[in-house]
Amino acid sequence: MPAFWIVLIVLGIAVAGFVLGRSRALNAVIGDRRDLHSLPNYYGWNAALKGVVPALGLLAIWLILQPMLIERAVTGLVSEQAIAEERDLGLVLADVRRVAAGLDAAVAQGLLSGDAARDLSTASDDIRATLATAGVALGSDVQPAVLAAAQRFRVLSGQAGLVMVALVLAISAGGTLYGLREVRPDFRARNVVEQGIRAILIGAACIAILTTVGIVLSLVFNTIEFFRLYPAADFFFSTTWSPSFGGGSELGILPLLWGTLYISLIALLVAVPIGLFAAVYLSEYATKRVRSVAKPAIEILAGIPTIVYGLFALLTVGPLLMKVFGDDGLGWMQAGTAVMTAGLVMGIMLIPFVSSLSDDIINAVPQALRDGSYGLGATQSETIRQVILPAALPGIVGAILLAASRAIGETMIVVLGAGAAARMELNPFEAMTTVTAKIVSQLTGDADFASPEALVAFALGMTLFVITLGLNVLALYIVRKYREQYE
Amino acid sequence: MYDTASRLEGQVSATDIKIAARDVQVFYGDNHAIKDVSVDIQDKTVTAFIGPSGCGKSTFLRCLNRMNDTIDIARIEGEILIDGEDIYDKRVDPVQLRAKVGMVFQKPNPFPKSIFDNVAYGPKIHGLSKTRADLDDIVERALRRAALWDEVKDRLTAPGTGLSGGQQQRLCIARAVATEPEVLLMDEPCSALDPIATGQVEELIDELRQDYSVVIVTHSMQQAARVSQKTAFFHLGSLVEYDTTDKIFTNPQDSRTESYITGRIG
Ligand SMILES: Nc1ncnc2c1ncn2[C@@H]1O[C@H](COP(=O)(O)OP(=O)(O)OP(=O)(O)O)[C@@H](O)[C@H]1O
Ligand SMILES: [Mg+2]
Repeated sequence: MPAFWIVLIVLGIAVAGFVLGRSRALNAVIGDRRDLHSLPNYYGWNAALKGVVPALGLLAIWLILQPMLIERAVTGLVSEQAIAEERDLGLVLADVRRVAAGLDAAVAQGLLSGDAARDLSTASDDIRATLATAGVALGSDVQPAVLAAAQRFRVLSGQAGLVMVALVLAISAGGTLYGLREVRPDFRARNVVEQGIRAILIGAACIAILTTVGIVLSLVFNTIEFFRLYPAADFFFSTTWSPSFGGGSELGILPLLWGTLYISLIALLVAVPIGLFAAVYLSEYATKRVRSVAKPAIEILAGIPTIVYGLFALLTVGPLLMKVFGDDGLGWMQAGTAVMTAGLVMGIMLIPFVSSLSDDIINAVPQALRDGSYGLGATQSETIRQVILPAALPGIVGAILLAASRAIGETMIVVLGAGAAARMELNPFEAMTTVTAKIVSQLTGDADFASPEALVAFALGMTLFVITLGLNVLALYIVRKYREQYE
Repeated sequence: MYDTASRLEGQVSATDIKIAARDVQVFYGDNHAIKDVSVDIQDKTVTAFIGPSGCGKSTFLRCLNRMNDTIDIARIEGEILIDGEDIYDKRVDPVQLRAKVGMVFQKPNPFPKSIFDNVAYGPKIHGLSKTRADLDDIVERALRRAALWDEVKDRLTAPGTGLSGGQQQRLCIARAVATEPEVLLMDEPCSALDPIATGQVEELIDELRQDYSVVIVTHSMQQAARVSQKTAFFHLGSLVEYDTTDKIFTNPQDSRTESYITGRIG
């Protein structure tokens, strides 16, 4: 039975539990709800929560663990074959899963009966053809060991699935019944529900945290794998980036970091002054009517997909810069794709980040501070420079650092606007490239996934992650420091 | 009420009148907060505004240095003359006006800067000091006058927002005094002060009277009686009675004034 239906049934049980719990509570005091410790709804919620939370928790854990355990159980059937063919065990297991899925599909479409699927053998049947009709294409003929493992896989999955359905539904019904039995006038349903809600919230927080941990761990493992194949010192200190998929690549991160920081710097030089001034205008000078039009208009910039900015860089800004700085003009620029092109466009993209956040922060500065300053005979710009901006500074710094992490992580604009050449040059009119752009090109090539040329992407991602993390920590530190001083 | 004002005008010579308000109306949107207020505030005098909460004392005070300009929905009608000049005239620069007519707000609002910078803010903006030593002097003098110097002299670089409520109130007084205004508007300057600090601030007010004209809003009848020479009683946005403090407290003309100062309405 698919998980979706199980969830629906569990929810149905919970609804029934809610209704029953509520009415039981009312019956227990013969309709006078003042004799109840909690409002009747809380007794309903208590039964419903006890029916849902443990059952769905078990379901989630089961769905995660079941494939792992079953895979381990069938590994023994194919490990010899993997050794014989000198293939990675993981790849063979992937084949097993694929054949199993194919058999499932074939049975579901009525091409095979359940018994026939169990009794297939490589000697008598053309399994590849059968599965192809069912919509699962296989790269090669099915090996006997793989087929056996796949059949075992199906049997185990089927049995485990039945046990799971039975257990989950039993726990759900049992929980609901337990919740119903607890209904007594002096039962503190309100407090119990409070705890149940807390458990749900904690669960949500845990999922978010665990996902982050999972992402970081996968980065870390692949990075370690990379450093096993490629010396870390070369990666961090070499100034050449020239991957060649045949081997003998030089994978120095420095040119990429340089490109990233250079482009980000130009982007921030564009975005911070413009964004900040726009924010000051909007929050201090603009009338309500102007503000109500201008603020959303600026925020539209934030809604434009970055690929559109990339096209803008490639088709408009690049050629425009070429006219001025290219061979017909000052002669500094060889092609439209350059650090300057990408930086300018990225700066435009970041304007709403800086302006919108800063605007909110400036607005949050209490009116009493402005009054105090005006009351001493200060002009508007004196008030802004000497009172409002200092008071809003921690928040503004936070906004700028946020924009910086966006700039560092931006990919599309760089791919289209800055070119693909990994260089360390000072001239901003040269093409350069960034860490993110290279991550894309390393993973989209057809390199073997276990080669250093592909694994380097994880090391690059990890480095980027550490840098943005550092920026965020710095932002927090600055905000804290000023807050201590001002509040 | 209008009689009172014109009678007063006869008593004092025109040069003695620092601020003359005529038929002032203030609206916050549809709310008519000040109705037909006409009053003459004398130079070198302390004038007290008293009246129940919400009667418009702060609102009227804020008209006198055009602080209501910063409130979008506020609309002001009528005429206010300072030294014979209409402050709501188009040619008048509100910024300069506010340097001349200083204000201490009802709620203390120190800037998120050091104690020193809070007090030095006005003098720096208006270029009142030539040298750093000058500035130090001005700051020290202002803090002494506001009876705060002894408490903060060792931590002038600490943030002003870190002071206690009463200290913040005195810091705001020092900040206003440091700018050397000709008129000082004080909105409940002692609401968070203990009796000792209150006494010191009252002394300051008395001292300021030598050179300036001071308008003080207060909820304390005793304070009004102690520090002011003139008292104005506001009720529901109107000026009910305006006379010498002695007269208001010993022989009020209006029954509402009498009930208020004896504590029967409020
Ligand atoms: N910024 C504002 N926007 C709208 N209405 C306001 C504003 N400030 C004051 N009012 C209204 O104007 C009226 C007078 O307020 P005001 O602050 O002048 O009273 P007050 O006499 O100073 O009272 P208190 O003694 O409590 O300080 C009140 O009805 C108040 O609601
Ligand atoms: Mg007030």
